[in-house]
Amino acid sequence: MFLSPLLFAAYHNDVALLNHSVIRTLVRLFLLWICLALPSTAMALTPEQQGRNIFEEADRRNSGYVDLEVELQMILRSPRGVANERLLRIKQLEIPDDGDKVLLVFDSPADVRGTALLSHAHKEADDDQWVFLPALKRVKKIASKNRGSPFMGSEFSYENLSTPELEKYHYRFLDQQMLNGVSCFLVERLPKQTSSAYSKEHFWIDQDEYRIQQVEYFDSVNRLEKRLVVSQYKRFGNYWKAGRMLMTNLLSKRSTELLWRNYRFSVGLDERRDFSVNSIRRAR
Amino acid sequence: MSTVFAVLGKRYFLILGLLLACPMPAYADRVAFGAFESAQNAENWAAKLSGLFDHKMVVTVIDDQERIIYRVTSQNLTAQAYSRMTRSATASGVRYWRVGEAALEAFPARAEKSQAAARIVPPSPPIQRQIGQGQTAGQMQWDLGLQTRLFAHKGDLQQDRAQLSVSAQLEYFRGWDNDTRSITFTPFLRLDSLDSKRSHADVRELFYSYIQDTWDVHVGAKRVFWGVTEFNHLIDVVNQTDLIENLDGEDKLGQPMVQFSTVRPWGVLDVYALLGFRERTYPGVDGRLRLPYEVLDEARYESGAEQMRTDLAIRWSHYLGPFELGLHHFSGTSREPMLLPEYAVDNEVVLRPYYPIIDQTGIDAQAFYGDWAFKLEGFTRSGYGDRYASLSGGLERTLVGVLGSRADFGLVLEYYWDERGDAAVNTLFEHDLALGGRLSLNDFADTQALLGVIYDTQYQDYVMTLEASRRIGNNWLLSLEGRAFAGGKALPTPLGLNVLEGPDYKSAWLQQDDYLQVEFKKFL
Repeated sequence: MFLSPLLFAAYHNDVALLNHSVIRTLVRLFLLWICLALPSTAMALTPEQQGRNIFEEADRRNSGYVDLEVELQMILRSPRGVANERLLRIKQLEIPDDGDKVLLVFDSPADVRGTALLSHAHKEADDDQWVFLPALKRVKKIASKNRGSPFMGSEFSYENLSTPELEKYHYRFLDQQMLNGVSCFLVERLPKQTSSAYSKEHFWIDQDEYRIQQVEYFDSVNRLEKRLVVSQYKRFGNYWKAGRMLMTNLLSKRSTELLWRNYRFSVGLDERRDFSVNSIRRAR
Repeated sequence: MSTVFAVLGKRYFLILGLLLACPMPAYADRVAFGAFESAQNAENWAAKLSGLFDHKMVVTVIDDQERIIYRVTSQNLTAQAYSRMTRSATASGVRYWRVGEAALEAFPARAEKSQAAARIVPPSPPIQRQIGQGQTAGQMQWDLGLQTRLFAHKGDLQQDRAQLSVSAQLEYFRGWDNDTRSITFTPFLRLDSLDSKRSHADVRELFYSYIQDTWDVHVGAKRVFWGVTEFNHLIDVVNQTDLIENLDGEDKLGQPMVQFSTVRPWGVLDVYALLGFRERTYPGVDGRLRLPYEVLDEARYESGAEQMRTDLAIRWSHYLGPFELGLHHFSGTSREPMLLPEYAVDNEVVLRPYYPIIDQTGIDAQAFYGDWAFKLEGFTRSGYGDRYASLSGGLERTLVGVLGSRADFGLVLEYYWDERGDAAVNTLFEHDLALGGRLSLNDFADTQALLGVIYDTQYQDYVMTLEASRRIGNNWLLSLEGRAFAGGKALPTPLGLNVLEGPDYKSAWLQQDDYLQVEFKKFL
């Protein structure tokens, strides 16, 4: 489809140079063939290609804002409804041709205030992760393999929260379904890495704006373990960002709600000033 | 399937239709130079760019329901003006986005995506942070502690079995210009019922920071941590140990310094000028966990400048994938004194700290493989007689979701080695093995426990350590700490002068000091 303008230009040149009706007709027929063939090649995509295309489109629509800052409230609920809260601030920077860099700083609960987590995601290699422990002023590099571990006692694991790189998964388009009155693509995502806690994930992505609406996580024995419902999408310029995420563990009945507030985009964050190993030790 | 085709197909036809409807412009109608939350900032940026490009910039208001954004754009441009403007924007490192009105409607999610190749970000708009977030007001947090220590036995010198203390620490931070300049102040105070020396105050931190993109400078009293191993902090020599706070050496006194730090593609380089010296704190005569002799306050120094000497330290560190490496050099007065016995006026034996000048060159390294982490730190050091080497290294394995639960379990195995062996007077870890297990329940209360044993492979004396903590409510923390000392010889009676030199008596002074500590902390 990106070739079309070139062909169009070529056609104009041909018209000027050749001025021959047979050739003109041929060129027209060729163009018509191109126009008809393009959608049919789209139809001929395998489910794997379709799935990947949907994720690529979702990724494309969700990148390009350069950097962002946002505040996050986590509400942890036990099966009996006892609630517990954490507050954190997040900075994120897009890195061309590599994974995002993310810095998380805790504001609450008070005993972990000032604890910071820095991660450099990579397209194919393992992510780099560091934690800063304010009591000891110690920066500790941590193994990114422990991705199945719960984040701050919540139902979100480190894996659930990490920015997913396209290259780390296989995809398969399954179906289209209506979800809460929104027509969605249903795509299966299969991790390439054995370190993933999941055998597969099912994504419902809406067809209008390619926003993730729901995710179901299947554990290593292919049992439906967790469901994530994403809602309250808001539009910021060209970007849609979720306001609320609810993760429910269907086995333990525990749940965690994430409320995202105060999104700020393109604030001028700097890779070395804000996302280096040095910056984590002075993060606050 | 067919609906996918319909949807995808519809998009393709729409795009094709647009392509056919208007010849693809090689330029956009307008160029955007960023969006601001504050109208004033947008106006300022527009004025600046108008001057820079000699072209009138306009501010457009975008209401996206959430809030109002002010976008700075050029006016409508001809192809020539467009390319002239983008060229000069690239040349002067100003980010820009194309916003053709037609493109904006056809590709709403994409309009501002095409960017200049340059990744230089325009001067960041001063975004007003909320009050309490450090831009307009200082942040303050108190933590107040109530600590009780119960000892299994009376001390060797008949000290009490119970020790009660309270502590307070304030953390004050105030930043300006997006926290690129800031002041941090952390005073600490403890009042102890048993040991008058343990009633002490310290300025843990009081420093000014100036932060630039690739370097920063900090001036004042600060705390710096070096090292990777869990139970022994061998190379952590920048700050003096506040030994009276805790035996584990993790509490430190604030060290006055000028620190220059730079982040480069080849790693992080820290250069420290350490201004002046802090003496190690020791328990007083009535305190527990103390040596059998009184440690005098007046220390002796190898340096003629005594406490006023300026020490130097430098550390480089870098990481590459699963590997992390640090190299350091420290040149100055050692943080670990030799304790030299002498007779006081009443013929009592007392210990006088003597701080030699050392040169220490060392390494710290870490590697990760799967669930495994491998750690090593070590140095060679001059100043205590002959130059000697010491190493501390081991491995750690973390198991996620042990026994089908949500808990993590970490297993730690470390070995500590000192080239001097039995003659290592300034450490208890000369040929010791440490084994530890760390359990994190990953529950609401962040319940954690670390159980460890450090065992001397030559003299069979060992210490068992328990550290556990659990949050109560949102602002309280309960922590538990216990140590049991065993396997070592008891102090002989009468005490001889050689007690501290005999390697099998090295931990004799701790053998009566098994304790359990309960601490409540309240954060305000």
